[in-house]
Amino acid sequence: MTRTARQLRALAAAAVLCSQSACASMDFHWPHWFEDVKLPDFPAFDEYTESPKSYVEIALEHDFLVRVKPWERAVLARNDMAFDPDALEAARRSHTFFSKEASMPGGSAGGGGCGCN
Amino acid sequence: MRRSRRERRRERATLRALTSSALALIGAASKASADTAMDHFETAYTFSNYSEDPLKSSKTIPGGETTRYTIDTQQVSVAGPVTDWLDLGLQYTHETMSGASPWYVTNDAAGTPIQIMSGATIQDTRDDLSLHGNYYTEEGRIGLGGGYSTENDFTSKFFSTDGELHFNEKNTTLSGGLSSSFDTITPTQANLYPTRPTYKTKESYAGFLGLSQIINRRSIIQGSFSYNFNTGYLSDPYKEVFQIGGHTQYGDSRPNQRHQFAFLLRYNRHIEETESTIHLSYQYYVDTWGVSSHTAELSWYQNFGDAFQVAPLIRYYSQSGADFYVPYLPLGERRPDNMSSDYRLSAYGALSFGIKAEYVFHTPWWRDIEWRTHASFERYLSSGDLSFTSVSVPAPGLVNFTVFSVGLSMNF
Repeated sequence: MTRTARQLRALAAAAVLCSQSACASMDFHWPHWFEDVKLPDFPAFDEYTESPKSYVEIALEHDFLVRVKPWERAVLARNDMAFDPDALEAARRSHTFFSKEASMPGGSAGGGGCGCN
Repeated sequence: MRRSRRERRRERATLRALTSSALALIGAASKASADTAMDHFETAYTFSNYSEDPLKSSKTIPGGETTRYTIDTQQVSVAGPVTDWLDLGLQYTHETMSGASPWYVTNDAAGTPIQIMSGATIQDTRDDLSLHGNYYTEEGRIGLGGGYSTENDFTSKFFSTDGELHFNEKNTTLSGGLSSSFDTITPTQANLYPTRPTYKTKESYAGFLGLSQIINRRSIIQGSFSYNFNTGYLSDPYKEVFQIGGHTQYGDSRPNQRHQFAFLLRYNRHIEETESTIHLSYQYYVDTWGVSSHTAELSWYQNFGDAFQVAPLIRYYSQSGADFYVPYLPLGERRPDNMSSDYRLSAYGALSFGIKAEYVFHTPWWRDIEWRTHASFERYLSSGDLSFTSVSVPAPGLVNFTVFSVGLSMNF
């Protein structure tokens, strides 16, 4: 290492040390621009460190009749969120119950009858 | 590198979601309220075996026929888009049925009703073809459908139209539909049984109105009201009512009109923490024959990753009997205008439980098809004790059955 480099390094170390101590600001005063600005009272530390909630999460805490935006419908678009996830199974089951019970299945336009025994 | 079809499909869906979020008010695709045509083809095949438990020997005469119905059902469906705004679906069902069916009820020495089964084994097949098309607009969907179902002794032609209208930024969907069915009945061996007519017809006209509401990001609720008007020959030509002592058998005779009303409430909720979805439904039904019923069903879809799903279900059903249900006519009683010994019109309750397992896999090396395979089982038990209302003498013909089903579907 050259002499110049050593001197530079010493200077840098001194600068770093001084910047951490009071001597760095001995003749320096921060401007008084923000003296009249009152900082808010920060909440208690544990309260502050709670993970921040998104607006979606806040809205979902008030759980009823949230207007769900199109880009929030990943869950609603799931196959198992359909009222009848398996159309063939739904058709077969409703035909069976229709044939073996006195009621009719509601909620759809329905199909044909049968001469079920 | 060539992107797989699945990736491209996913991208298309993402693109569509983004486009619609950019045009938030115009819309987005979602299963809960789909507003574009299907974006892939789907074909499915299912085989099911339905088998009724034999009648208990205590419920019939000594040495009497006890075997009941067995039905093998094969179903095929094909559905896919025609244009961005139009899709079509076709469903075909082929069933082969065999076994004996309840014929009439008499009583044993102790006075308990016992069921007499039709002696000869019934052999029948049913073929059912139905077609459904949907036209989508920005605000909703209009569907048209029709079909034809035929058995040896029965044909049914049916037509339906239904639609959906989205509003409240597509969080609310109004749905409705109208359908009609025209049936002809030509009972077999009408020449051998004097109570059987040779040719009869019946018609039904139905309508429903429903409202579904997205509650939040993971739950949706739907309520609907259905009405069905039946007119024509609504009796069962193969059933009879026996008069004790007189050794007379009368034909099953039901009113020739029936108004049916059903109120259905369904609720789906997904639980992200456990990857499961709950389906809850309740239906209240009432008709002008004096039958009213409650149906409650709970199914639980439990996912294990993207590939495997197990879905147990439980269903409870309870109905009151029709006004004119009689197991048999007591000795000397005058014959009423309407009467039926059909156990399906008696008061009873039923409990069924089932489980379904589904496995999804992809074949990226062959056309990148998404395959879904499933196997399911359902057991249905009915009895007078399970009824909401107290049933003093349950119908002897009440049925218990088991259904096994396997299926395969491909999406591409």
